[in-house]
Amino acid sequence: MINITVIGNSAAGLAAVEAIRKIDKNIPINVISKEGGAAYSRVLLPYVLRGKVAYENMTIRSGSYYEDLKINYIEDEVTKLNTETKSVTLANGTEVPYGKLLIATGSNPVKPPIEGINADGIYHMWTKEDLDGLRPHFESGKRMAVIGSGFVSLQAAWAAVYKGLEVTVIELANRIMPNVIDDKGAEILSDKIRSFGVDLRTETLTTSIEKLDDGNFKIHMKDKEPVIVDCIVVGTGVRPNIQFLEGSSVTVDRGIPVNEFMETNVQDIYASGDVACGPTTFGEKNIIHALWPTALEMGEHAGINMIGEKTAYEGSLNMNVTQMYDLTVASMGRFSDALDHQTYIFPETAGKGYLKVSYDDGIMAGACLVGSTEAVKILGRLRPLIKEKKKIDICPEKLEMYLQINAFASVDRA
Amino acid sequence: MKVITIDSNKCVGCRNCEMACAYQRTQETCAYSESNIKINHFIEERILLPMTCLHCEDAPCMTVCPAKAISKDEELGVIVIDKNKCAGCKMCMLVCAYGNIHFDHEALVSRKCNLCEGNPKCVGHCISGALQFEELETVMEKERLKTDERIKSFLRKHGE
Amino acid sequence: MAKEIKKSCCRMCGMLCGIDVHVEDGRVVEIEGNKNYVANNGRICIKGSSGLSQLYHKDRLMKPLKKVNGEFVEIELEQAMDEIAAKLKQLQETYGTASVGVWKGEGTGFAQQEELARRFTHAIKTPNYFSNDTQCYAGRYISYNLNYGTWPAADFRNSKLAVIWGTNAPASHSYWTQDINAGREKGGKLVVIDTMYTDMARVADLYIQIKPGTDGVLAWGLIQQLIKQAVIDEEFIATYTHGYAELEAYAKMFTPEYVEKYTGVSQAQLQEVVDLYKVATPHVSSWCGTGLEHQTNGVSNVRTVAYIDALIGAVDVPGSMVTLDGFGASHLEIELDDELVELAIGKKEYPVLYGQRGECHTLLLMDQILSEKPYPFKGLVMTAANPALTNANSQKVVEALSALELLVVKDLYMTETAKLADYILPAASYLERSEIQYSGINQTVKLTEQVVDLGLQNEYDLFKGLADRLGAADLIPWKNEEAMNRWLVEPTGISYEDLAAHRDGYQYKPLTYNKIQGAHANGKTPFNTKTGKIEFTSEYLRDMGYEPLAKYTSVPVYIDRPETDYPLVLMTGARKVMYFHGRYRNIEQINKVMPEGLVELHPDDAMNLNVQEGDRVRVVTENGAIEIKVKVLHEAEIFPGAIQITHGFAKANVNMLVGDGTRDPISGFPALKSVPARVEKI
Repeated sequence: MINITVIGNSAAGLAAVEAIRKIDKNIPINVISKEGGAAYSRVLLPYVLRGKVAYENMTIRSGSYYEDLKINYIEDEVTKLNTETKSVTLANGTEVPYGKLLIATGSNPVKPPIEGINADGIYHMWTKEDLDGLRPHFESGKRMAVIGSGFVSLQAAWAAVYKGLEVTVIELANRIMPNVIDDKGAEILSDKIRSFGVDLRTETLTTSIEKLDDGNFKIHMKDKEPVIVDCIVVGTGVRPNIQFLEGSSVTVDRGIPVNEFMETNVQDIYASGDVACGPTTFGEKNIIHALWPTALEMGEHAGINMIGEKTAYEGSLNMNVTQMYDLTVASMGRFSDALDHQTYIFPETAGKGYLKVSYDDGIMAGACLVGSTEAVKILGRLRPLIKEKKKIDICPEKLEMYLQINAFASVDRA
Repeated sequence: MKVITIDSNKCVGCRNCEMACAYQRTQETCAYSESNIKINHFIEERILLPMTCLHCEDAPCMTVCPAKAISKDEELGVIVIDKNKCAGCKMCMLVCAYGNIHFDHEALVSRKCNLCEGNPKCVGHCISGALQFEELETVMEKERLKTDERIKSFLRKHGE
Repeated sequence: MAKEIKKSCCRMCGMLCGIDVHVEDGRVVEIEGNKNYVANNGRICIKGSSGLSQLYHKDRLMKPLKKVNGEFVEIELEQAMDEIAAKLKQLQETYGTASVGVWKGEGTGFAQQEELARRFTHAIKTPNYFSNDTQCYAGRYISYNLNYGTWPAADFRNSKLAVIWGTNAPASHSYWTQDINAGREKGGKLVVIDTMYTDMARVADLYIQIKPGTDGVLAWGLIQQLIKQAVIDEEFIATYTHGYAELEAYAKMFTPEYVEKYTGVSQAQLQEVVDLYKVATPHVSSWCGTGLEHQTNGVSNVRTVAYIDALIGAVDVPGSMVTLDGFGASHLEIELDDELVELAIGKKEYPVLYGQRGECHTLLLMDQILSEKPYPFKGLVMTAANPALTNANSQKVVEALSALELLVVKDLYMTETAKLADYILPAASYLERSEIQYSGINQTVKLTEQVVDLGLQNEYDLFKGLADRLGAADLIPWKNEEAMNRWLVEPTGISYEDLAAHRDGYQYKPLTYNKIQGAHANGKTPFNTKTGKIEFTSEYLRDMGYEPLAKYTSVPVYIDRPETDYPLVLMTGARKVMYFHGRYRNIEQINKVMPEGLVELHPDDAMNLNVQEGDRVRVVTENGAIEIKVKVLHEAEIFPGAIQITHGFAKANVNMLVGDGTRDPISGFPALKSVPARVEKI
């Protein structure tokens, strides 16, 4: 094999590269990065904005990383994939041949169809560039609007609140954070958000964004009073970066479908991370999680599979956690109210805040938390049980105890 | 390389380990909540579970950390959190299957056992002998977290 | 930076764990367990490592203090010693030599400290030696000595069955937990009999919850069944014991039905215990704690439990109660003239206490100070004790000590008792002294290293200094503590230097079994009792006019004469791991774990009282009332109807609730663990 070429320099790509180097110290590796600059995790962006993490500490790979791992780092955009010649074309015209290719190009935020959305000064919460653009606005007294109330958007809003900005959050749906918590959790979190003085507007359609002469923005909403702000963050979903695959033989369906070995439909081409739709622990074949831990796992498996040892990925388990509005918000697996599952909500006296676990006939399916930090450990201990599909028989009041005992005993069995 | 082993059959829940850990860490309090080692006592089931970081071989906390704040000291075999890099995002808490990562609510960072630089205070203060600090090779033959009969029968009862 | 490790024994409690004290540039920086010391195998508890905080505590007394017009002023040590001696002399001349005495506490006093205090007492011609041991330890000492003529040690490490009565090793005898676990690891079983589900109980194979104060009945019931089910060792009984016929006759009435009704222990549980004995005998050890001792039937309770070991021949065989060899060191006690001995306070009322222990009675002392009958008692030199906080009937203690003409208190801190003193002398802590310490069953002796010298007077210098000034210099002749240590070690066969070279401990003789069997084979009487045998019926007691058999006659007051005003039974003194009686509330990091006293309730009782965790309540007894915070336990953790308050918390001092009038007739111990009480919602 002439080389392994990885398109993408973030979670999935680097996890793959490190997995490969654990097995093979010598095979040539290319890493092609469009964004350039040192690798960082976008998970950290809100923490940098809030001031918890120093700007310099955002990078997660040192300067000599590529040299130490004998990686050929190429900073450019891939514009075309040539499966017949087994090469990729870069924006500068160069062709880079590959022996095996990993597409780990991640995803990018989509802009909703709102008039005026493309003006300068409207950011996402996705890249370092966004961060650099937002930071000057993060001063006490300034005003910010956040369009969208997903996991990332609300973290941005929290960072702004924390820094003393006046914040408006505009959400089209009738509740916040559609994917990460359940209805009750959303209700509790919404109350908390409002208690911090945030103007949270659900069921609100943004009709247009007007840039004013002084550089500020006036946001117009249907049937609501407009609001004037200094800056705007838009977080209304992401889309996999697959533009360069147009015309290639790689199957795409929103993202790139892969099997349990991270293989696409084309031999020697793999995909991982936000760009890929892979298997989940619940048996779904092709789902995009767009989550940091999933990207790491998929990348690692791609790397191992690319270097030869066929290792099936047991499937991703969605999980999220963050600190915001003096609460810990976290979830894992399947917990939606729409499911036909049994649920148990921990009592107030347990001191965990709102913690719901969801299970199906004794098999743990998921949990959702808007409450205390301690309760995150319950989710952590739940994770192996969700993955193993182990059937347990215990009254829910004793679930926490069961989890602790099982965790202890699992080391013995390991 | 030495590891902490736990014999649940010997633990009496005196909590000397928690007090020693809390004080070692904070230098100002022995309060149990400040400890990194935790004693879980289930009275009705008569089960006592000391639990402390296992410094896993392929530590999930280290892999997942988006700030690269968690690293391994190869010599001691210790997984450590750099509190200057930690963002307090709690992903490590979410991926630890044993609940061994805790939170420092003042510094707003995650915290965990760091084996006290190779001389774990919890072991030094374990007056029952439940905690030992042993060479990894000798532990391979025994169990690292030794479950007793009460634990085994509890798990059997609830769906092992 | 000069770094070294000095070896000593911890004295943060009475267990004397071997410690490695890390010293940098002359300053202690850390205290760890000594891995080479046979008793604790390198382990230490939080009190032990916190000895560092105590050593340099900002509140340590550093200069002698004299009370002048109600205020304490600093004075020089020489002046203090001169004045104290002069006052003692004056009191003895005015009121008689017995009008003064010495009180040794637990804060510094074990083994040679106690002997030294006793020597000084007699050296200045008074019989009045008092100590904390008359509220803990002396009762059991008497019990075992009445039975055996000695106090055998429990060979837990090799026990096939260990039976623990009313004591919680993890909190009170830390490294015995290791030993008991070592026995369990080999397949040994553990039974814990206790009114509360203690730390020790958590690992017991069989936990038996028992009604407070009724352990004696359970023990007799167990004896009755062991006899009935032929578990006893008839040959051993015939060879080594005395009084079996009376024991067997008395035991008959303690049927399982009777035991169940009286103690709350079911017949099924009793049989489980018997079954465990059947399998394990004779490799059985037992231990009784203050749960049995602090009762009106205290001495008899413990004697009864000790009977069981003798009945099954669990003496001097592996895993049983083993007799020990002494080190052979000299003893410091000296005789006193008979006329003076007769004046010993409490000797008439508690002749066994005085006869077996040479101890006077602290509770009667308080009455005598206040009444001046039968003669005035006016001066007390007290070291390392805080009875204003930790003796029964605190109110009376304060009143009495305040009425003394001379109260000298030597301590590390300004304690509640020190506040009452005329003179306060700062004490050197264990890290500032070199002492000879023993580790019982390990038959190991250690000469501790003086780790630092803070320039404070140790106990030896106190007693020598006073003796010199009171004309008794020849009786305490050694220049300093080291010289005394040398003298003590002389007859042992090991030199002082050699002992000093064994800083990890010197085993003077390995533990051997079958000593009594060997002695018997050589025609010697193996036991130091009147008959030379293990006495079920104590001839010593018979001579004194007491019932010789340990009958269950002195029934706890709350059972004997229940009162509707006091429907609950108050137990006191459950040990907490991080404290030692009245000490260490002032170690800040430890204080944060348990900052205040608590009354521990069964959840049913809490519900009936309509109180919740954290509420403040008033606990009332005949002796007094205190306000205290509530802790509601799990229903399995305490006998219903019983409440527990740990002592040593000045703001919720349970000794204000415990009267001094209800006592064991033999030891004179106050009944600290079954006080009729009620709880009132505030």
